This record gives sequence, structure tokens and C-alpha cells, in this order.
Amino acid sequence: MKYRCFFGEHLFPPLIGAVLFLVVWMILAQSSEALPGPLKTWDSAVALFSDPFYNHGPNDQGIGWNILNSLGRVGVGFGLAALIGIPLGFIVGRVEFIDKMTSPIISMLRPVSPLAWLPIGLLVFKAANPAAIWVIFISSIWPMIINTAMGVRQLPQDYLNVARVLNLSEWKIFTKILFPATLPYMLTGIRLAIGTAWLVIVAAEMLTGGVGIGFWVWDEWNNLNVEHIIIAIFVVGIVGLLLEMLLVKLAKRFSY
Amino acid sequence: MNESKIITVAEPEHNSRRDFMKQTGAILGAAGIMSMVPMGTRAAAWAAGSDAPELKEVKVGFIPLTDCASLVIASVMKFDEKYGIKIVLSKEASWAGVRDKLANGELHAAHVLYGLVYGVHLGIGGQKKDMSVLMTLNNNGQAITLSNQLKDKGVTNGAALKKRVDAEKRDYTFAQTFPTGTHAMWLYYWLASYGINPLKDVKTITVPPPQMVANMRIGNMDGFCVGEPWNNRAIYDKIGFTAATTQDIWKDHPEKVLGCTAEFSQKYPNTARALIMAVLEASKYIDDMAHRHKVAEIIADKSYVNCPLEVIDQRLEGRYEDGLGKKWNDANYMKFYNGGAVNFPYLSDGMWFLTQHKRWGLLKEDPDYLAVAKKINQIELYKQAASQVKVPVPKDVMRTSKLIDGTVWDGKDPKKYAASFKVRA
Repeated sequence: MKYRCFFGEHLFPPLIGAVLFLVVWMILAQSSEALPGPLKTWDSAVALFSDPFYNHGPNDQGIGWNILNSLGRVGVGFGLAALIGIPLGFIVGRVEFIDKMTSPIISMLRPVSPLAWLPIGLLVFKAANPAAIWVIFISSIWPMIINTAMGVRQLPQDYLNVARVLNLSEWKIFTKILFPATLPYMLTGIRLAIGTAWLVIVAAEMLTGGVGIGFWVWDEWNNLNVEHIIIAIFVVGIVGLLLEMLLVKLAKRFSY
Repeated sequence: MNESKIITVAEPEHNSRRDFMKQTGAILGAAGIMSMVPMGTRAAAWAAGSDAPELKEVKVGFIPLTDCASLVIASVMKFDEKYGIKIVLSKEASWAGVRDKLANGELHAAHVLYGLVYGVHLGIGGQKKDMSVLMTLNNNGQAITLSNQLKDKGVTNGAALKKRVDAEKRDYTFAQTFPTGTHAMWLYYWLASYGINPLKDVKTITVPPPQMVANMRIGNMDGFCVGEPWNNRAIYDKIGFTAATTQDIWKDHPEKVLGCTAEFSQKYPNTARALIMAVLEASKYIDDMAHRHKVAEIIADKSYVNCPLEVIDQRLEGRYEDGLGKKWNDANYMKFYNGGAVNFPYLSDGMWFLTQHKRWGLLKEDPDYLAVAKKINQIELYKQAASQVKVPVPKDVMRTSKLIDGTVWDGKDPKKYAASFKVRA
């Protein structure tokens, strides 16, 4: 009985969703000769993932290597953004003068499309790979700064009053009050940022080339291999979902 | 500045060889006396110092197109190792990407559009940077594709297109691959030869080839000029037809070159020569028609052009069809060697692109055509390399060609030639 409830509540709705999705896809594929259907795509996905880690030189590597390379770039760019963005968020949230000083700049730069930063990166770093990492960095730093600052700002005044009464040092205030109270906000920022970072890497790699899932898609598009492009869409989506889930897990562990 | 940097790092024996090179270079530039010196002496002239390549690994970029073949063959058939280098090929995403990676040193050299190199050297279509052309990689083998929608309305050639554009007013969209590149120039020249101004009468945009095909499929693109296999692919995918091949516009026109920065060719002359020799040998190999099918098989691989073999091999072997029912064997198919005539970096070829850049307003002023071409095209390096692998070198640095509209280009009065066109920006 309980098992059936679990099935009905948690597995049945997504299953229906997936089936409907496949049916719509099949109908679309039937009416368009260029779009391959689910079965054809599945066949080429099986072929593709049967050997994900082959290496035929720098211009032809397995899908696994491409995903790992992209994840590596995201890791570096995202890590740097966290390293700089989170402390900056604390400062911005804590010191009103700096908040007022930086907020017009942040508000102006935040909505800029991440790819607009790529030429700047290429000019400054004089290499494609750092430029791609730079794009990840710049597009994932804003949510971290803004959310961290917001977390600091919403801190109840009472907490700080207590701190003042107890005559706590700024360091103690940070470790005992600010950090724990801000953590949920910070994690929201990080989650938003990783989503953006993964979104952006595909586009950035399309432009810069090299080994990575983005350039892989570009190369398959050059070949007009639509099945592989569809597979890549799923791969990008699933990896993005996994990253997000990982961070939600992490957030749950740290929430007080 | 480069000069002093080189001398401080060079070995003493390099030093003396450089001076010698400079002297011979001055003589060559001044009077062309070098062409009277017998082959053997000339080869000995630069072999006086150490001629071992300074770099063992040479990173060479390419765009997945049929005409990257000589670089791929040089690497796959190991012609590079014969001359003491290893060509590391890197597939690039776009011409803009090639330009940026050449400029910032991530690539040592690249398979690149003739006009792009000249544009970057003059600071149009990219940040100004001194560039070099080591050799021409191929002649011919590009085409202009028009959409099947136009065919349905009876447009099968340039003259009919002109009538259509005059009769039915709408936005006609044509695409090319890079603003200063070869395809832009062929497209503009072809349209203009039928009285269509490519900048005023129609819309011309720069997009990558797959996007051209995708847009043509949905009826958003009337025509494009691009290298093979894309034009054959448009027929294969039943979205367009070949209205003109570029060899119709200019028989044996220069197309892709082996390009690098001036810094590279000055700093690593031995490497540059080794690269030229390896590619020359590959070019010779490809132009033996008995090898062409095998070449098509090699370059169709996922590492290189990544394309079905049947799309690539026909036109590479000179078998053309236009998608309108006409089939022919083209005598002016894509050539990579042609007895060495393809590869010589004629000054007149380079200058032609400058005249067209001027014609279409990319250059505001007339540049010093001859001086620019002399600076970019590394005739000396090429001659030295060619003599080593016994490739004949033409006597004259200019050649005379007759283009589709009947005008003759011989490199003699570029300023007058550039100003002579009726249809212009």
C-alpha cells in the first residue's frame, strides 16, 4: 500500500511527463525530415557513450573527455568567482559606504550578456582558455556578491546589538553571527551562479574551440549531425541538473 | 624592435647568417637579381648557417573545409617529420577565432583566408598586427550557392538574379564568411559583375557556414559564398544550387594561404621553411589525381572536416554537378600544387585583395599596395624552401589574370584598377 502511494505520488507524474515529451518529440520528428526521432537519437547515443573516453588526438576525443574538460573550466572560473565574490559580498553588505560606491557599477554590469565579456578576456589574457574561464568568472560572480550582501543586510539588528553589548571583536561577529546567518543566502547565490556558469560554458566554448562540450556541439553542427546535437542538449541538461542537486544537498547540510 | 630581440637571443652563427640573409634580401628586393642566381647557389646561401628548425612542434590552426587538405596530409602522411618538425593541427571554431589565436600566439600558423591576413595587417577586420603569408595553399574550389526558393522563381544564374532583384523589391540576404575574406570578395565581385551592388541593393552578412545552410533551409537566406564541401552539401541537402563556381569568376584564383604573424616568420625562419617544404610535398601528393580519393577519405574523418565522404569526394576529384541537372568535369577544380604555380605567393594576388578592400570601402585610403604585399608575402622564404624540394618558382612576382567581367589584373597600376570599377561602395 505504502509502496503504491510512493509510486503514485513521486514516480507517476514525472513518468507521464517524460512519455508526453517523447510523444511530442516523435510527432515533431514525423512531420519534419531534418529532425531525428527519439529512437534514432537513442541509437546514436548508445554508440556515442559506448566509448566515451577515446582519444584520437586533440581534434577528436570522446564525449567523456569533452564533458570533463568543460567541467574543469567551470570549476576554475566558478571557484575564482566564489573566492572573490563571497568576501566582496560580505564587505558590500556590511559597509554602507562601499555598498553605495559599488552598487551602481554592479547593477550596470550584471545584466550584460556573458558572451560580451569574451572579447575583453581574449584581449587581456591573449589565450582562448583563460578567456573562457574569465567569462565563467564574470557571469557567476554577480549572484554571489548580491546574495551574500543581501544576507548580511537582512541580519536582525538585535543580533548586532547583542554583539555590541558583549563587546565582541569584528572577527568574532563575523564567525559567530554574520557567517551562520548569511549562509542560506550565500548558498542560494552559489546555486544561481553554478547554473549560469554551466549555461555559459557551452556558448563560450562554441566561440573559442578546443576540447569541451560546447565546441563538440559546434563541430557536430558543422557536420549538421542533428542527433548528436540533441544528445548534447540532454547531456548539458543532465549535468546541469546534477550540479544543482549536489549544491542543494550541500545547502541542506549547512542550513541551521 | 623585433630585430634587436632576435639578435640578442640568436647564436653567433645565426647572427652572421641573418646578416647575410638581410643582404641577399636587400638585393632581391631592389633588383630581383636573385632570380638570375642558379638554384644550387641560392639553396647554399641560406644553408650556410644552421638550418635546423627552431621549433620542433608547430601549432597550425585550420577550419574544417576541403581546402585544409594539404595541412592535414602533411601531418597524417608525416611529411612534416621529414623536415624536422611536427605539425600539431588544431581545429578552430571560426575565422575570427583563427585571427585571434594567430595574433595572441596560441597558433604559430594557420590555414586562413587570403584577405583576412591582409586585413589584419592593415588593421581592418581585426586589431592591427604585422602579418606574413608563407605560401598559397590552394586555387579554386569555392562556389556561390543560391536558394531553391530562387530557383522556383526561375533564377538560375546571375543575370536572372539581377532581373529578380530589380523586379521584386524585398530584402535579399547574402552571406559570406569574413568581412575582408576571400568569400566576401568573390561574392561581391560576382554580384557586381551582374550590376548588383552587394552593399546597397542586397543585404550581405557574415555568418558561419552551418548557419548559412540552416537559414537557407527556412527560406531566410537567398545565397552565400563559401568553400567546399558546403556548396555540394547544399545540393545534397536539397536546399540550394551552385550558381557559379569561383573558378568561373577568376580561373586559378588564390584562396587560402598559410598565414602567420610577421613575428613568427622573423623569429623562426627555419621552422617556417620546414613548414613550407612539408606542405609543398603534401600539395604535390594531393595534386596527383590518383591520390585524390584517398585524400578525401582522410580529410572527411571526424578529426578534420567531419563530413560524409560523398559530400567531399566529388568536387575534390573535379566531378561537379550544379543541382540544376548539369554535370561536368571541371578542368579548374580545386588545385593544391599545379606544378608549383598554386603555391607561389604572387605579390599581385595579395595586392588584388587590397584593391577590392578599397573598392568596397573597407580601406578608406589607397594603401601603398606594392609595399604592403612585399612586406606580407614571404617570397624569399618561399623561394628558399621551394628550391630545397625542387619546386619550380615563377620568374615574375606578378601574374596576369582575366576575371569574369573581362577586366585584366596584372598588378601594375593597383590604384587605377581599384578606382576603375563602376559598381562600388
